[in-house]
Amino acid sequence: MKYLPYVLKHLRRNWIRTASTVAGMAVCIFLICTLQTVLAAINAGMEAADPARLVTRHGVSMIFNMPIAYKARIQGMPGVERVAVANWFGGIYRDMKDFFPNMAVESEDYFTIFPEYRIPPDQFQAYLHDMRGAVIGRELATKYGFKIGDTFQMESMIPPYRVKGPLQFVVRAIYDADTAQHPNANLGIMFFHFKYLYETIHGDPRVGTYAGAGTFNIRVSNPNQATNVARAIDANFENSDVQTKTETESAFIAGFMALIGNLAALLNGIGLAVAFTILLVTANTMSMAVRERRTEIAVLKTLGFSSALVMSLVLAEALALGILGGGFGVLLAEALVSNLANLPFMGLVLGNFPGLSVSPTVAALTFTIAVALGIGAGLVPAAGAYRSRITDMLRQA
Amino acid sequence: MAAVDVQNVRKIYKRDAEDLVVLDGISLQVPDGEFVALMGPSGSGKTTLLNLIAGIDRPTSGTVVVGGTDVTKLSEGQLAKWRSRSIGFIFQFYNLIPVLTALENVELPLLLTKLSKKARRERALTALKIVGLADRAKHYPRQLSGGQEQRVAIARAIVGDPAVLVADEPTGDLDAKSAEDILTLLDTLNREFKKTIVMVTHDPRAASRAHVERHLDKGVLATSLNGREVAVG
Repeated sequence: MKYLPYVLKHLRRNWIRTASTVAGMAVCIFLICTLQTVLAAINAGMEAADPARLVTRHGVSMIFNMPIAYKARIQGMPGVERVAVANWFGGIYRDMKDFFPNMAVESEDYFTIFPEYRIPPDQFQAYLHDMRGAVIGRELATKYGFKIGDTFQMESMIPPYRVKGPLQFVVRAIYDADTAQHPNANLGIMFFHFKYLYETIHGDPRVGTYAGAGTFNIRVSNPNQATNVARAIDANFENSDVQTKTETESAFIAGFMALIGNLAALLNGIGLAVAFTILLVTANTMSMAVRERRTEIAVLKTLGFSSALVMSLVLAEALALGILGGGFGVLLAEALVSNLANLPFMGLVLGNFPGLSVSPTVAALTFTIAVALGIGAGLVPAAGAYRSRITDMLRQA
Repeated sequence: MAAVDVQNVRKIYKRDAEDLVVLDGISLQVPDGEFVALMGPSGSGKTTLLNLIAGIDRPTSGTVVVGGTDVTKLSEGQLAKWRSRSIGFIFQFYNLIPVLTALENVELPLLLTKLSKKARRERALTALKIVGLADRAKHYPRQLSGGQEQRVAIARAIVGDPAVLVADEPTGDLDAKSAEDILTLLDTLNREFKKTIVMVTHDPRAASRAHVERHLDKGVLATSLNGREVAVG
């Protein structure tokens, strides 16, 4: 610690160079932190999946719909307890940046299959009796100030769902979740009646099969038999006009994310590239600093500072850059990540994770990366300082 | 026992395929409390000899005993520790750390000791008082004149109370008045504080302040010069 003032004073020696290196490191760590936070949110979604739930979608792609009549056939199959149609509506509330997930569901069946969404019974009844009723999550209610009885409209991004213009809604219920039992439950979704959507667009020739079911959410009676039930459902429709693909809820979520490619590899690849760049920048900063202080290093060694101590001082300086950059980067991420969904187009992806925030694990991981980058950047210049001969350095001065 | 005892030292540098003999069998004794001036033309090996005495370079052969320690037998780590305790080095261009105040520069060698922060500060301030710059303790080197910087450098050299001071052209970068102040200070350190001083200089006026002049030429000590006492190598 007695050498700390010495190290910190050298950081101030060229404060522009230090500030720009720290800023670069901070931006790098902010980016990695944000990417890891998004990945963690996606993984949390998969972990929240219930093993007793299956999802059936169109066998070719989830962007196609299935005949509603399939519901009765699925309901009648052994091991199936309950089935609900659920369609991704893709509606925009006010502006793209205000996007949040919204789905048209067969309400009584759906909320039985998803008991983690806790709706006060009186509100649920009011919702069931209003075709235009909407159930919104507590986080949405807080964010946009929704209250019971508020009216709003949304227009879908999906063209067949826009043929009759925006749909009108009335907030009839606000749902919560037992966060102790379901820590990853999403409180940022809006649900409305599938029947409202169906009756609005059904019969219009521009709609095509979009008047069908996007997915069938299924609760099985025995989670251990979930895979067998899934296979049986798909076998049932193998020779039909529309084949199906049935999988567990967590596999479905993973597949949904795979629509945008191998997301983890993509985000981690970006993070790695950025980290490597910052490693080189910081290493360059340290190399320049050590080259400029050749004589000073010679003087320290002349005074009796051992080569190991001089090397440690150089490494400490590099470490300080890492700590400062990492600290600022994590703080920046914590301040901004919850507002990322407000950026243009970001809401489309990040709106699915309304409670996005940097977890202690991600903060610790990315801060550790910053520290490692700092030390890594200092290794070569520190080794040079270790090996340097006093007389050679004094002669070069 | 001599403060400095150099016996039959050779220093050879390899330059491409050639061997460059900088010191050729030098022997030199500096008694305790003596003030010695090493003089000679450029390339004569005087700075190399000074570096060997200070323990910042190693001879190719021969022995260098300073304060009873044969420094040629020490490892690098041991040599660093020995330097911190036994040698005060004064550079021609002061070589103060620009981001540290005068007090912090003087305190630098004491960071290697077990002294508390308070004790380090007190000793550093005492050293600055000795060189007459206690009132400049909080100034940075850029705020000091050349002469003042060199005095801070001398304070840094003496703060650890080494027995031997080595000075490489301590007045080389100073005007006449500042040079005179530095030489007076060195004189004081020698007479009152009993420091053994080995000083390399080109300046005859500086050399005249020493007790003894030793002259090097082409890596050997000369036998006599101008009637001043000189030593045979």
